[in-house]
Amino acid sequence: MKRPLYEASTQYKNWRYSPERLSQIRTTMNEAAVGVIRKTFEAYEPGSSSNVSFVNAHEEHLLVTFYVHKISQLCGHFRFPEEVEATAASYLKRFYLKNTVMDWHPKNVMLTALFLATKTTNNPISLDAYASHIPNTVASDVLDLEFLVSQSLAFEFAVWHAHRALWGIWLDIQNLPDSPPDIAQTQSSIYDSALGHVRAARLTDAEFIYTPSQIALACISLVAPALAKKWLESKANITIPENQTDIPPRPSAAALSASIEAIESIITKTGKVPNVEAVREVDRRLRTCKNPEKVVGTKAYLARKAEAEKKAEEKRNKKAEGQKTNGAGDVDPFGDPLAEPVKPGLVDYDDDDDDD
Amino acid sequence: MATKSNYGWLQGRTVRKGGHASSNSHTRSSTPQVQSTSTTIFGGGIKDPSGRTSEYFSMDDQCPVCKSDRYLNPKLRLLVSSCYHKMCESCIDRLFTLGPASCPNCDKILRKLAFSPQTFEDLGVEKEVAVRRRIAKEFNKRLEDFDDLRSYNDYLEEVEDIAFNLINNIDIPATEERIAAYKAANAALTSLNLQREEAEALALKEQEDLERREREARAAQLAQQEQQEREERQREERELIDKLETSQKDAHKIVAKSRIAAAKRSSARAASSSANSSLLGMSFGMDYAKLLKTRTTKVNNVPDEPHVPFLDDYYAYDDLYTVRAEGYDDIISEAVRRDREGIMRAGGYKVEEAWNRALLTAVAGLDAAPLSGLDEPNSLGDVDVVMESV
Repeated sequence: MKRPLYEASTQYKNWRYSPERLSQIRTTMNEAAVGVIRKTFEAYEPGSSSNVSFVNAHEEHLLVTFYVHKISQLCGHFRFPEEVEATAASYLKRFYLKNTVMDWHPKNVMLTALFLATKTTNNPISLDAYASHIPNTVASDVLDLEFLVSQSLAFEFAVWHAHRALWGIWLDIQNLPDSPPDIAQTQSSIYDSALGHVRAARLTDAEFIYTPSQIALACISLVAPALAKKWLESKANITIPENQTDIPPRPSAAALSASIEAIESIITKTGKVPNVEAVREVDRRLRTCKNPEKVVGTKAYLARKAEAEKKAEEKRNKKAEGQKTNGAGDVDPFGDPLAEPVKPGLVDYDDDDDDD
Repeated sequence: MATKSNYGWLQGRTVRKGGHASSNSHTRSSTPQVQSTSTTIFGGGIKDPSGRTSEYFSMDDQCPVCKSDRYLNPKLRLLVSSCYHKMCESCIDRLFTLGPASCPNCDKILRKLAFSPQTFEDLGVEKEVAVRRRIAKEFNKRLEDFDDLRSYNDYLEEVEDIAFNLINNIDIPATEERIAAYKAANAALTSLNLQREEAEALALKEQEDLERREREARAAQLAQQEQQEREERQREERELIDKLETSQKDAHKIVAKSRIAAAKRSSARAASSSANSSLLGMSFGMDYAKLLKTRTTKVNNVPDEPHVPFLDDYYAYDDLYTVRAEGYDDIISEAVRRDREGIMRAGGYKVEEAWNRALLTAVAGLDAAPLSGLDEPNSLGDVDVVMESV
């Protein structure tokens, strides 16, 4: 049996979760982060953590969702293509499955994720131009987090997008036997509103649970259920050729209907921009419960920095020691410097130029 | 010294009238030096590349027939029969002057002219070299005369078989028959290859000639240059002395100035000579390249093996969709398709490929069921790793 191509993608292998698993990941991570940060607080100022109200997993998710929305605003400002926007949103959401907002504020990570997305989708923009268009940001703010973000994404930059699947379905609908030839013109409102739903789905967890094609189909189904059903049935009815027995079975409309309905409910229920007031409240509280080791200027930050420097110093010393014991300590590994050859002067410069 | 060299033959050396002893003690450099007691000139023998035969010659020589040795007869010269038995010249004269007679060792009928000078100490080697020379003349096919390496190797094996049989006297009549059959079958090719070999030998000689001429030309040029330089230097010195005599200026300055002028001249000379020599080398080099070109006879045209694409077991949904040949009514790609000058497609963008990718995404993973439950062992450990490492 041949394996479907989509199952070879990292998106299928590493970024697919069940809804329960998603909430579990977020809760455990939030609890672990709170524990660590509480300990840090206590270590530097005993008793200081008792009156800190930490943000919970739900609030973290709210904040992240808000900044996903911010990405699309920023992309509108830069006139980036849809692909950049969708990729950056995926990066941001994936990043916060491995990190907590109390360590890294999404307002900074968002900029890095977007810049990274411009590069990975081949829509490059110079870093200076990028940073200069965003207030209160310099190039290093974007670059400093870049490796952290890449590492959290496990360097898996390729993302399959629902908007592309929607485009494909919309093209393929023109191929349906009984569709009017000018369907793309007359009913373009279907595509436009379906694209709106795809963008709304970007604010949800749909991409972690379902495949892009399923999300796109659900978005069409939200606008024109009959059309979506017709297209899906046309795909399910393609007969498998006799000589090809090793290909997977056709997608079945019956099995898919549950998924489609679930996606539809996810989009209609959670595909909304979070209330700005609620986000502001979370952000205000986040200021008090940020990991002190990551806030510049605090005691914990300085202590951690000093510790890191000490470690680096030790490492350097150890390396130097090792070189000395190897006997290569005082010898230049590239050999002695080349001696400057002394050229005998061909010309006497003290000659005055009086010809006779 | 003179007395010593007169007894040079005692150490197995050829003694000449002038008392000059040849430096090699066991072989003579060429046939005419051999002191012969016979009136017959014996040809044959193994010739070296220059066409001469260096004859084997030792103090312990003894004729197996008459038992006469070098002590008794300093002019003893042993010759080898076609059955590879040694005999001295006087025995040959005695036995074969009256016509063909049988060999005293093996009873093979021999003639006087079947004897040839000996080159190697070991007669086995003598025979082998003679046999191989003969075989090589007939069996001169090359690798490019065969379709594949396998048949060439088979041919070489056969040749080796025949040579071995002839050397060790195994099945001589059958082997000779094989050689005759081969000769008949491959007469044209053999003569062609013979011509080719001759042409190659000629080309090699030409090349050597060329190189020698080039070397000579270089040497001549160098000598001329040196001569010129010497003359110039002398002239300069004369001029300087003249100047020092007649001029009123500071002597130091005059010397320094003439030194600068000399340096300038010498650098100019070096430049011109290097240009000259490169010119010379180029003309010779061109000849040489032409020579090489003529010498490369044939290019083997090995057919390329058919390309086997990388095969995997993935299913790319290619039977679930087809890109419509007449295209789509598509607002997204409209700008690209309308672009008559092809500016947007200059980088190789094809709208069909974009459509293909979109259609693939539309059907990819349609049937993938969502995960459920918590049983999936996902890597939560990563979280800490990332947090710690930063």
